[in-house]
Amino acid sequence: MLIINCPYCGPRDQSEFSNGGEAHVKRPDGSKEIGDREWGEYVFIRANPKGLFYERWVHTHGCRKWFNCVRDTSTDEILVTYKLDEKKPNLNNFKSVVKTPSGEPEVGSGNFTVEK
Amino acid sequence: MKSINLKDNQFIQFHQKISFKFDGVKYFGYKGDTIASALLRNNINLVGRSFKYHRPRGIYTCGIEEPNALVQIISEYSEPNTRATIKKIYEGMEIESQNRWPSLENDFGSINNLFSPIFTAGFYYKTFMGPHKKFWKNLYEPLIRRAAGLGKPPKDFKGISNHIHHNVDITIIGGGLNGLLAAKSFINSNYDVLLIDFEEQLGGIINNSNKISLIDNKEPKDWLKETIQEIEDSKNIKILKNTLVTTYNYINHLIAIEDRFVGSKPIEGKVNSTLHKIRTGHTILCNGHIERFLSFQNNDLPGIMLSSSFEKYMCRYGLAPSKEPVIFSNNSNSNSLVYCLIKAGLKPKAYIDSRSGEEIEPNLFDLIRKNDVPLYTNSQIKGAFGNKKIEKILVEDSSGALNEIKCDCLCLSGGINPDVHLFTQSKGLLDWDEKDLTYKPSKPFQPTITLGSASGQFNFDNLNSDINEKLKTFKVKKLDVKLELNTNTKYNIEKLWEVSPQKKSLWAKSFIDLQNDVTTKDIRQAITEGFDRIEHLKRYTTNSMGTDQGKISSINALGIVSDLLDKKVNEVGTTIYRPPYAPLSFSAIAGRNCYEFYDPERKSPIHSWHLKNGAIFEDVGQWKRPWYFQINKDESMHDAVQRESKNVRENAGILDGSTLGKIEIKGEDALEFMNLIYTNSFTKMKQGSARYALMLGEDGMVKDDGIICKISDQHFIATTTTGGAATVLGCMEEYAQTEWPNLKVFMNSITEQYATFNISGPKTREIMKKAFPNINFSNEEFPFMTFQFHEFNGIPIRILRASFTGELGYEIYIPSNSAPKIWDNIQSVGKEFCLAPYGTEAMHLLRAEKGYIIVGQDTDGSITPIDLGLSWMIGKSKKDFLGKRSLTRSDTIREDRKQLVGIIPSNKADKLEEGQHIILDKEIKSPVPMLGHITSCYYSSTLGHDFALAVIKNGHSMIGTKAYASTSSMSTTGVDIVKPVFYDEDNKRLVS
Repeated sequence: MLIINCPYCGPRDQSEFSNGGEAHVKRPDGSKEIGDREWGEYVFIRANPKGLFYERWVHTHGCRKWFNCVRDTSTDEILVTYKLDEKKPNLNNFKSVVKTPSGEPEVGSGNFTVEK
Repeated sequence: MKSINLKDNQFIQFHQKISFKFDGVKYFGYKGDTIASALLRNNINLVGRSFKYHRPRGIYTCGIEEPNALVQIISEYSEPNTRATIKKIYEGMEIESQNRWPSLENDFGSINNLFSPIFTAGFYYKTFMGPHKKFWKNLYEPLIRRAAGLGKPPKDFKGISNHIHHNVDITIIGGGLNGLLAAKSFINSNYDVLLIDFEEQLGGIINNSNKISLIDNKEPKDWLKETIQEIEDSKNIKILKNTLVTTYNYINHLIAIEDRFVGSKPIEGKVNSTLHKIRTGHTILCNGHIERFLSFQNNDLPGIMLSSSFEKYMCRYGLAPSKEPVIFSNNSNSNSLVYCLIKAGLKPKAYIDSRSGEEIEPNLFDLIRKNDVPLYTNSQIKGAFGNKKIEKILVEDSSGALNEIKCDCLCLSGGINPDVHLFTQSKGLLDWDEKDLTYKPSKPFQPTITLGSASGQFNFDNLNSDINEKLKTFKVKKLDVKLELNTNTKYNIEKLWEVSPQKKSLWAKSFIDLQNDVTTKDIRQAITEGFDRIEHLKRYTTNSMGTDQGKISSINALGIVSDLLDKKVNEVGTTIYRPPYAPLSFSAIAGRNCYEFYDPERKSPIHSWHLKNGAIFEDVGQWKRPWYFQINKDESMHDAVQRESKNVRENAGILDGSTLGKIEIKGEDALEFMNLIYTNSFTKMKQGSARYALMLGEDGMVKDDGIICKISDQHFIATTTTGGAATVLGCMEEYAQTEWPNLKVFMNSITEQYATFNISGPKTREIMKKAFPNINFSNEEFPFMTFQFHEFNGIPIRILRASFTGELGYEIYIPSNSAPKIWDNIQSVGKEFCLAPYGTEAMHLLRAEKGYIIVGQDTDGSITPIDLGLSWMIGKSKKDFLGKRSLTRSDTIREDRKQLVGIIPSNKADKLEEGQHIILDKEIKSPVPMLGHITSCYYSSTLGHDFALAVIKNGHSMIGTKAYASTSSMSTTGVDIVKPVFYDEDNKRLVS
């Protein structure tokens, strides 16, 4: 279970939160002409990287506020949380802390217990 | 095997006799005994039958690693698979052996042992293939399930467990020498420390072995007593005893299970175990090591046990399982057993070591010589033999000659492994130590520290410096403990995994996994067949897949595999150690979240009235809603629903609609916000009017519906479906915060603040007039889809003229606390108009007759408003709303989408069912092109026949045509496709 640092309430248990998928996906302005492809990408297409990922969470069983975070999807570590109106942090700031459990390769599940 | 009591023991209270029953026979043990030690005291070593071959099995170890001695505790809700080596006895305990029939001595299943040459790895996969697939389900599986297995599952679930959360700086797992020293370092420091030990007494190796002679020039037990006292007195350290850490999760989250009734019978109704959920800054693993066994022919015979376990029985339980055991070892760890035996006035029958004379420690050599113990160096045991117990062994000595030794007990040691389970669960990496022949923790992944033998330090030389170095970051006071050992030797081991049998035979078995009956032959076969990856091999042979997870044997398997493949053990790798470390009962995990606490139940303010009036309830989400009301016990559901619905059509009915979601939306920009959330346009809507509205997802699919009341441009009240309330509120909040934070708007759930009554039927106006005499209910003053605020006897109420049944209807919203009073009042004035309550089932029937949809029943997340024929609800002039753009995507404007239609059987007497497929052909010939399916289906006494709603491809243009509904018996029913409205199409009754 993760500990998530709600920008409004402080560190709380993961069970109080819900995940809201990729962050910083801008909703196209509905009042303007939008092509099928552009709209379809907004509705259906989300990134799914292994590694650092901007992500939205909501403190469902708490303050009910939405916020953003940077999560490492390979370790589940949440590196930083920030309010919606704050600037998104540069991912390069976090490169140094990226590590995967058991030194697994960048691609694939690699469930190793012994150093390769 | 004849055991003797060693009465000089501080842990066993020899003056306190305890009686217990094993397989119906009464025995005596002493207070402090485990089931295993008590059975050994009674010279019982046959305690169970093995999983597959039903071979006789005895007590192999003295702790959690036990693979064989699993028993069923009859006196504790028939708890199965309990390790006899850790469960303490108490007065009146009833124990049964497992997996035997009719008795442990004469087990019918042992016939499997005769057929064992065919039960090799992959036997099931290869054998039970034919002749027909039904054979597996009806014959093979029931037979195998009967024959194989461990204990029987208990019939009743009665154990109670609670959960406790901890939040600490440091958790020390294991209260042995290193754990105590680590805890000692933290005495009176600023850290919150949790010290967890699985045993009732802290001390680990100090209690369990004869290895340590003096600590700080004190007797070990005196030092132990003082140290524990100091730790207990320290305010920042909490000790959890009888607590086993089973799981090491991410972010130093540990799960541990505490047994609350050690050595006594659990009291019914009292908490018998506690699940500790621990959040810690650092974890210090001091959970020690586990001895492994060796493979040779019949290495599973009762009477064979690990040498450190024998020593533990002597030191910890005051019991020597045998007066003259034979010792077989390939390492120095078993030295202390020799010292221990001789100190107790006993001596080994023989000492057999695979190492050469030079490698064996000189001290041990002298001791063995002095006591005339037969010594075999450079020797191996080729096999053990006997009937249900060990009777003799065959030793091949250094010259290659065979010696037969009669014995009743054999102590084995194949080396020791750090207990790396928790370390690897935490995702730490292991490294193979070629000298000590074991995997040792290398890189931790989390803030994890390993100390002592858990870190692979099998000698005590660097005890102080190791702890001081590893705890340096905490800046605690340094340790300087002086240790004196009985056996002053460095750990030394020679590679030996397996001894091949003397005579090749199909029946010769050298076990590698005792609990799952895996032999070394199975491993060879798996590799021959290509399962040479360790994870594949594990699953193919089921090696180390028992409840003990191969604690004493998995490393041996790796050794054998690496030799066979001619690879290094590090290259072979290990299988993943997965939580839990030892089995954990479901009741412990469930804790108090079971029975009535499993899920909250939500009840309307009128619930008690429903109970008194024959309501049968239906679960809608967490809500309990009246499904229908029985006027007497004999009334069937069908009759009740038809009676209720008919009464609504002819007189009037009342429905408790309090469970409907209600959301209040307020703020300067409320109007703009509502226009963005719902498909409808609310701009031109008059204050005091209401509108049926749809909410879409961004994909254009219908997500929810409800009625929106406009109080002003700054104030709306929306209703949602009962099940969708939380989602709709969540969606509104999400968009208000994430997409349109510039809009000044607030929303809140008022579902539970207001009760809702839906009254409908031709006589409703009369009833309302009588119930609320000062309100004018005429069509002119109170038209359809308007609402008014009133006060009734000082209670503020809101009345909305709307209907979900197609009849004249009103919805009354009342503060929940005052609701029962008004409900009772309506009931009494309604009597003369035959007003009767109706439930959700009649409501569903009535709305379906009108063609009103239920989101989630007639829609499934792939239906747009256009598919439902509700295009008129889309505010086309609006610039934007949720999902608007999706309604013109190429996929949503396709003509052959599934669309909502009505279905009636061509022959009115025919029956329809929900879920039936609509097809074009009368004959079913596969493949059958399916048009769609029936989403709602009811019998209507108003219509006099079955009718249904369905979603079918290109449905709107098929109205007026005929089709077929397929039945489960592969036949078809002819149906007419009609408009999805069956009653009062012109809405005359609705607006009357």
